[in-house]
Amino acid sequence: MDNIDLFPLFLSFRVAFTATLIGIVCGLPLAYLLSRRQGRLSDFIDTLTNLPVVLPPTVLGYYLLVLLGRSSWIGKFLEEQFNIMIVFTTTGAVVAATVVSIPYMIKASRAALSEINEDYLNAARLLGRTELNIFVTIMIPIAWRGIFSGITMSFARALGDFGTTLMVAGSIPGKTLTMPIAIYDSLQAGNYDMANFLVLIMTTVAFAVLYIVNRLEKRIKKG
Amino acid sequence: MLEVSIEKTLGNFTLQSSFTSGNGVLGILGSSGCGKSMTLKCVAGLYAPDKGTIRLNGKELFNTETKVNVLPRHRNIGYVFQNYALFPHLTVYKNIAYGVRHPDKTKRHELVTEMISKMQLGGHEKQYPSQLSGGQQQRVALARTLITEPELLLLDEPFSALDSHVKQILEKELLSVIKKNFHGIVLLVTHNIEEAYRLCDRILVFDRGKSVQIGEKQEIIRFPATISAARITGCKNFFEVKIIGEEDGFVRLNSEGICLRAVKNNTKLLPKMMAGIRAHDLKISSKSINEPNTFECRVIDKIEGIFSTTIIIYCQGKTLQAEIPNNDSFLLTVPIEQIQKLWLQIPEEKIFLMSSEQDHRYTSC
Repeated sequence: MDNIDLFPLFLSFRVAFTATLIGIVCGLPLAYLLSRRQGRLSDFIDTLTNLPVVLPPTVLGYYLLVLLGRSSWIGKFLEEQFNIMIVFTTTGAVVAATVVSIPYMIKASRAALSEINEDYLNAARLLGRTELNIFVTIMIPIAWRGIFSGITMSFARALGDFGTTLMVAGSIPGKTLTMPIAIYDSLQAGNYDMANFLVLIMTTVAFAVLYIVNRLEKRIKKG
Repeated sequence: MLEVSIEKTLGNFTLQSSFTSGNGVLGILGSSGCGKSMTLKCVAGLYAPDKGTIRLNGKELFNTETKVNVLPRHRNIGYVFQNYALFPHLTVYKNIAYGVRHPDKTKRHELVTEMISKMQLGGHEKQYPSQLSGGQQQRVALARTLITEPELLLLDEPFSALDSHVKQILEKELLSVIKKNFHGIVLLVTHNIEEAYRLCDRILVFDRGKSVQIGEKQEIIRFPATISAARITGCKNFFEVKIIGEEDGFVRLNSEGICLRAVKNNTKLLPKMMAGIRAHDLKISSKSINEPNTFECRVIDKIEGIFSTTIIIYCQGKTLQAEIPNNDSFLLTVPIEQIQKLWLQIPEEKIFLMSSEQDHRYTSC
């Protein structure tokens, strides 16, 4: 067991948790807005949020480098004002994981939120509640299965990201080497113990997530 | 006092709604898709009309000219939705407590418990809406609304979600519960004239987006102002008539050669009008009777119902529908072919006159 390094495991879970958290904070309000509005602008934003699912990870990585790299406007600003660097850091890995995982979160939550019968919301409005209050007391409790299924899916996706993370954060051992990249590196180096160990963990997590999502979806259909 | 005068266009549908209502139950009657529910939603503030004003007890809720549009949560209006819209994830207790805004916790609990016992929902506090019967759900919805002490109560087809065998009992219950616990204005939307008649004091008739008549329910049934109002209230027989004279309380009518006599009422007389007579007011007998408005006729068809039978009769070039109670006529036991000659009598006090040009604006649709 000497040749098993646990750092990629801990890093990956930390990155995936943070990315999922950011996904909830940014994705849930966006899903809410998309579920309530109809029109070209919301269709456009909807398409934009789904792009990461379809685009090759390298393309996404490239965009992030252009947008957040040290010579970009945002990259320069962050480095000069706050001494924060994104490229080739753990922060970069979190950004990459967030971008690839947030579409799953938004899609599932949006679907669950837009299925809520408008009468519930109207009833709550006439009973004197504000929109924010209604979102918290009515919409989230009714749509929680869909939202939770989106959260687990996006966590699994964040945990498993390879290409985008590699482009943005690199594969610096002890710093940005996440599980999927570590599997690749271990195989290259002939370290099968390490590869098998990480593959087993990834598979278990993926299986658990899909199982939970399936169960939730069945419960949603039953109502 | 509720004063509504609004207009709203949605696609090729135009809603033109204007009425006032004091305390008591006002029934909004019309066929489906005619703008009844839309009117209710505009009053509640869930939809904004394109034009007009809505005032409740002197307060302006909506006005396009002064750009007033009070948010639903500040309107103090109670709304019972067609399917009650009870929050499925909350218990009966929490559903009812949802709208209570009293800052004191014990007072809040008192209010909710009191409302639960008033609505005879004791013992169901911890149950979820899906575990209740339709009638119980209806009472929870009503409790949830009345606990906020609204100035105006809106009921959107409150009985459409219930089985027909419990409907009539629940209607009575609902009415007595409302009368006991609520003393403001009630608007009740329905497409059923019988329901409207049983539950309401006054009736507002809607037709294709427009409010066409408002009045006491007896008056609406007795003297519909337009052909559409007559149709919605269940009248099936219409004929065009010319007014040919008036004599001591009667109007003499001519309808394609047939002379009729009708009791004169407040309706403004025009040379050409439309006359209506309800199916159950027509009298049919096998012997000639010496009364005015009696004509020879023959039966074309019978449509048997559970309690009454509709008979299609042909009389002097006109086809009319008459409704006879099932226990009341020899006609129903005899096959149509064997009936040779019958007499139709149109009671002169049951004929009502309407302007024949009321509906011209619909010809373009």
